Amino acid sequence: MARQQGWLALILALAIAAAALLIQFPLQLGLDLRGGSQLSLQVLPAGSITRVEREQLEAVKEVLDRRINGLGVAESTLQTVGDDQLVLQLPGEQDPSRAARVLGTTALLEFRSQTPGTEEEMRGLLALKRQAQSVLASRRARTEQPPADTDPGASLAPDDLAQALQSLGVEVPPGSSEVRQLELLLDAVNTRIVDLYDPAELTGRELVGAGRQQQQTGSGWDVTLNFTREGGDSFARLTQSLAGSGRLLGIVLDGRSISEASVGPEFQAAGITGGAASITGNFTAEEARELEVQLRGGSLPLPVEVIEVRSVGPSLGAENVRTSLIAALAGLALVAVFMVVIYRLAGVVAVMALSLYALFNLAVYALIPVTLTLPGVAGFILSLGMAVDANVLIFERLKDELREGNTLIRSIDAGFSQAVSSIVDGQVTTLISCFALFALGTGFVKGFAVTLGIGVLLSLFSALVCTRVLLRLLMSYPSLRRPSNFIPRAQLPTAAS
Amino acid sequence: MSPLASLLRLRVNQRRRQLLSLSAVAIALSLLGLMLSWLSPSIGAPLRAGLDFTGGTQIQIERSCQGACKPLTTAALQRRLAELELPAEPGEQPPRLGSSAVQLLDEGRQVVLRLPTLTAEQSQAVIEALDPALGGTEPGGLGIDTIGPSLGAQLLRASVVSLLVSFIGIAAYISLRYDRLFAVLALVCLAHDVLITCGVFAWLGLLAGVEVNSLFAVALLTLAGYSVNDTVVVFDRIREKRKELQGSSLAEQADAAVAATLTRSLFTSFTTLLPLLGLILLGGSTLFWFAVALSIGVVVGAWSSIAVAPTLLPVLAKR
Repeated sequence: MARQQGWLALILALAIAAAALLIQFPLQLGLDLRGGSQLSLQVLPAGSITRVEREQLEAVKEVLDRRINGLGVAESTLQTVGDDQLVLQLPGEQDPSRAARVLGTTALLEFRSQTPGTEEEMRGLLALKRQAQSVLASRRARTEQPPADTDPGASLAPDDLAQALQSLGVEVPPGSSEVRQLELLLDAVNTRIVDLYDPAELTGRELVGAGRQQQQTGSGWDVTLNFTREGGDSFARLTQSLAGSGRLLGIVLDGRSISEASVGPEFQAAGITGGAASITGNFTAEEARELEVQLRGGSLPLPVEVIEVRSVGPSLGAENVRTSLIAALAGLALVAVFMVVIYRLAGVVAVMALSLYALFNLAVYALIPVTLTLPGVAGFILSLGMAVDANVLIFERLKDELREGNTLIRSIDAGFSQAVSSIVDGQVTTLISCFALFALGTGFVKGFAVTLGIGVLLSLFSALVCTRVLLRLLMSYPSLRRPSNFIPRAQLPTAAS
Repeated sequence: MSPLASLLRLRVNQRRRQLLSLSAVAIALSLLGLMLSWLSPSIGAPLRAGLDFTGGTQIQIERSCQGACKPLTTAALQRRLAELELPAEPGEQPPRLGSSAVQLLDEGRQVVLRLPTLTAEQSQAVIEALDPALGGTEPGGLGIDTIGPSLGAQLLRASVVSLLVSFIGIAAYISLRYDRLFAVLALVCLAHDVLITCGVFAWLGLLAGVEVNSLFAVALLTLAGYSVNDTVVVFDRIREKRKELQGSSLAEQADAAVAATLTRSLFTSFTTLLPLLGLILLGGSTLFWFAVALSIGVVVGAWSSIAVAPTLLPVLAKR
């Protein structure tokens, strides 16, 4: 009896601790329940690297962390998943498209000098680039707010456009609008210009800072750069070699020319010194800010691809919480009614044990902590039904023993001891599945496996310990100690009635 | 005598032929459904693959309407989508949305769009373009899912591998605790349950357009662990009856074990079905098919542990 009381005290203490824990640490809700966006990024092997290693994944994460901080999104978390994936979570109603844009690009900035002997081709390309830019600006001006320095009369005859596209080897999908064709042309020109440069001597690695400023004339933005000491030196050398030669200094981002600058002859002596430069790329305010964030964060050691974006509005999330809560309570009530009708007093005990189970379960979620997602909640609800299975097995054994004419206390003990082996076997097989799901699944599948696994372990405790202790406690009251509280009198052998 | 007590006299092995034929018919129908689904040009796979497997973008919009919503047709939305020109990264083709699926739910309050894989920016452009036709959207009532095409293959591989690993793990555990014959039987039951659940969803996909998503894969994996629970209870009792009824044949011992465990097999399945019933009726659209898949699996699992495992046991033991 003393041992029983010890168990009872333990269960009570656990229940109080669980309740206190839940009040102290509220449950963490996943983005599908409170609203928010989740972006999955896949790190792609590139160049000499054929497999993404742990250190490279961490290096990518470091750069992305810096970029996210630069964006200033609230409460975001970035985690690595598996060997080559990262997941960014943005709670609340934040537009994921900006994050996707800023995180998804490599942002490799290069300073390159023009190869001698390419002056003529460069002149043609730059003329084409300027023309395409101004036509594009005037076309966009019809739909959006026009930039101040737009020439509304600019145009490029359809034949000329088609010829330019063909000369650059651009395939135009049939049915493309003029704006789309111009975009393709501009992109092809910017890629072609890069071919006219020597290999890079200076890259974004040599930056200590980046900023942006509005142009003094016109409405565009410039991005300003500050180099490290070595970077400043090599920038000076680079500009010195180009000064007065008529060749251009190319600023290249991710393989596309974003600016072409000429260096005046006055820099022939020492080049451009001072360790600072600015990119005049006619950026919009938004573009300048994004580039600044990317350059400050550094370029990615490996390219990444956004492979999954899931976003759920806060009110949709609240709706999910509401419906699953109702479903859980309805399920719990149905199970409770069934157990009490079939097993009478033992059923009441099982319902008490099930309530304890639910309480402990939620407390463990808060403790670990498990972030509750919609599938996790579904796993929890399902486990409510599975948790009473063990009670059913025990009580059926108990009834068997009573039918055979055994005394109540003996039957209770026999019910527990004989049902244990099949209960444990059944739960172990479920745990094996949970383990497979956890080890091999991704993302929310893992979450589901964790909730189901916790449920299985706690249900063993609830069925084998809580039910037993509570039942023993009730049996200390003589008025409850009647076989007819467990089984219809008609099923009892005459000797026991 | 109560009806349950008369059920307790059930001798499954005397009706082996009928019980096993029923399972055989169910399996044949399942295979037929999976085959037809595979041959169907609009599906092209044993099950109708949902967004999680095919990749793509799904946008769910809650319209803000005072009282009744402005009437809306899917054709009108489809026309708008077809006309829309999306922004794209330089050097990449923006996808065309002409053949997108548009669905109206909840008396037109909710619009679900099924689109090719879009970037976050392009999804935003779609929502903005449809906004005038929808007459405004409910703040916070927007859901966007974009799954890259490579993710579907990863998910499929992970699901199949974890299913196989659970199969092997469960078989190893049962042969350790019982013997190899029981492990084979448990695997037969497992395959039976998973196959029939898939078969039902193949037919649902063919006839009602129901798609399977990653939740379906999770449901199957959960079943793999759970459906053995009932089978193990029967095995445990067969082992006990073998000692108790030493003079009888294996078939008689199995029958006695089934009769003795029948109520608990039915009750444990029933108590698991009750919360699932709550999810089906009240749990909302996301979890509806998940709960349906699990319910089918639980029912089929109860059947296989009562009617398949104990009747196959004497047959297999003879070999």
